[in-house]
Amino acid sequence: MNNELKLDRITTFTFWTWSGHRFTKIIALLMENIFLPNLNICLPLQQAADISQLRGARVISAEDILFLMRKDKKKLRRLLKYMAFRDYKSKIVKSIDEEEPIETDKFSCSNVNKRQKLAQDFLSSIDQTGEFLALLEDTEIDEIKQERLERAERQTRMMDPIQYAEFCESRQLSFSKKASKFREWLDCSSMEVKPNAVAMEILSYLAYETVAQLVDLALLVKQDMATKAGDPFSHVISATYIQHYNTPGEVMENLDAIQPAHIREAIRRYSHKIGPLSPFTVSLYYNGILFIMCTV
Amino acid sequence: MDGESSLESYFDQSIVGENSQCLYTPAIDFEGDLSIRSPLHSSTFISAPVEQNKALTEDFSVVDLSFLPDELSVQDELLHDGAEQQEQESDVRDSGFVGMATPGEQIPSESSMALPGASPFCPLPMTPMTPMTPMTPVSESSGIVPQLQNIVSTVNLACSLDLKSIALRARNAEYNPKRFAAVIMRIREPRTTALIFSSGKMVCTGAKSEEQSRLAARKYARVVQKLGFPAKFLDFKIQNMVGSCDVRFPIRLEGLVLTHQQFSSYEPELFPGLIYRMVKPRIVLLIFVSGKVVLTGAKERSEIYEAFENIYPILKGFKKV
Repeated sequence: MNNELKLDRITTFTFWTWSGHRFTKIIALLMENIFLPNLNICLPLQQAADISQLRGARVISAEDILFLMRKDKKKLRRLLKYMAFRDYKSKIVKSIDEEEPIETDKFSCSNVNKRQKLAQDFLSSIDQTGEFLALLEDTEIDEIKQERLERAERQTRMMDPIQYAEFCESRQLSFSKKASKFREWLDCSSMEVKPNAVAMEILSYLAYETVAQLVDLALLVKQDMATKAGDPFSHVISATYIQHYNTPGEVMENLDAIQPAHIREAIRRYSHKIGPLSPFTVSLYYNGILFIMCTV
Repeated sequence: MDGESSLESYFDQSIVGENSQCLYTPAIDFEGDLSIRSPLHSSTFISAPVEQNKALTEDFSVVDLSFLPDELSVQDELLHDGAEQQEQESDVRDSGFVGMATPGEQIPSESSMALPGASPFCPLPMTPMTPMTPMTPVSESSGIVPQLQNIVSTVNLACSLDLKSIALRARNAEYNPKRFAAVIMRIREPRTTALIFSSGKMVCTGAKSEEQSRLAARKYARVVQKLGFPAKFLDFKIQNMVGSCDVRFPIRLEGLVLTHQQFSSYEPELFPGLIYRMVKPRIVLLIFVSGKVVLTGAKERSEIYEAFENIYPILKGFKKV
């Protein structure tokens, strides 16, 4: 697996985590080699491949991924909104710099809202209780998205114009820009069915979301570790596990930024190993590494 | 900016009462106040101002009022209310005496002696070029005019056309029936592109103004006519107008998307601009961090101007300093 491919990308595009600093190189490496493959891509990709094979199709399409995500309504809704935005944006940009416009309804516009149509058709086909179709029209506020917006707003308020320009640039990075690199990194050559274009879009979005979620969780962990005056349980929470989680050799470049320890702790909490049912939960191992389902 | 500072200074002046040469309309109020003036000065006060009053009214009648904006009466009331509040605070009021007001001259006034300088005729000496636009702190025109970049229009030539023959005989025409079922024709003046369909319908794009779009469409119709088709020029309609401008300051889009959530969408990883769907007028704006704004979806020029005037104060609120 070509590590360097994604290193730069992740380092800069997670700038919006903003504890004032970019991700350390260590974290970027961890992300690339451990978290992303296991959390997000490999297993779901494999599962999606299985599903499409079941269908007898030759490519992994968006429908397979949507099917995989059907259990988690919130994430599904966010994905649907993302696809809708993509359609909307291409429609508008087309109308602005049109050379050979195909914009009005009388002309054939099969490309308009194609992702939305796709999602709608598929969801209506698997919908038994009407819940999926309701999801398409769902206008409830996405709390996590809201938190991210608020965090970004708070951060940007304090920045000076130069920092803000950098910040904006890094926010614009995504996995979908260099689709070929992302495809390479995914390494689908071993699989029989490969994802099609829309499926690749969704996968790159899922990768982005995974990083976003890890950052959200890590920030929560960081917040927990900060000592709060008046917190009745502060004498119980021990902050020593931070040292425990940081393996020797991981130099702390900046104590204010998110540390690998934060991320490990976030993942630990997210796993099935804690909680009342943990003795009875089957833990999934894939290639010897614990798989944690963050997105699916 | 400029408007605000001059507004503040305007109030300052009226409170201090220095050097103001404000004309005022109601002579009645003034005379009513004479009764409370000290008898010592009453005689002089009566005579002199009345003369001046006449002079004022003469001047008044000569002045051309036509450029006054309609909202002036509203402004008067606003300033009026503001003035009355301030009157409670200060004793010194501007008497409105032309050329007679001396700094610090105390003239007791009643609340009816409203701020006489409510009319914009008050030439503030501090800002000789005071713009005669309504000086309210609520809204001021941005001073920026969006430039039209592209106009899309349609027209019906009202006759069935043989696209192949047009493509073969016309200059600057291309026709790829497998790719798209219309002839694509271009002319250089005005620089536009037309899509001509076999039904006789035509779309004209690329013009920078409504008149240019119409002129170009006519030229295309003429070309079709000259090729032997009975082309008419029916139902010319502007379908879309695109404008753009630059507010010249960086904008903090994160703040904008949070406070105007129901209108904005911002996904920086997909598109660097914030997409703002304005309801009235129904225009879509693309707002970029650099301060560039693109407006689209208008059927009329006024909608673009109106949309920009609506968004400008909002954008100023999110100026990145």
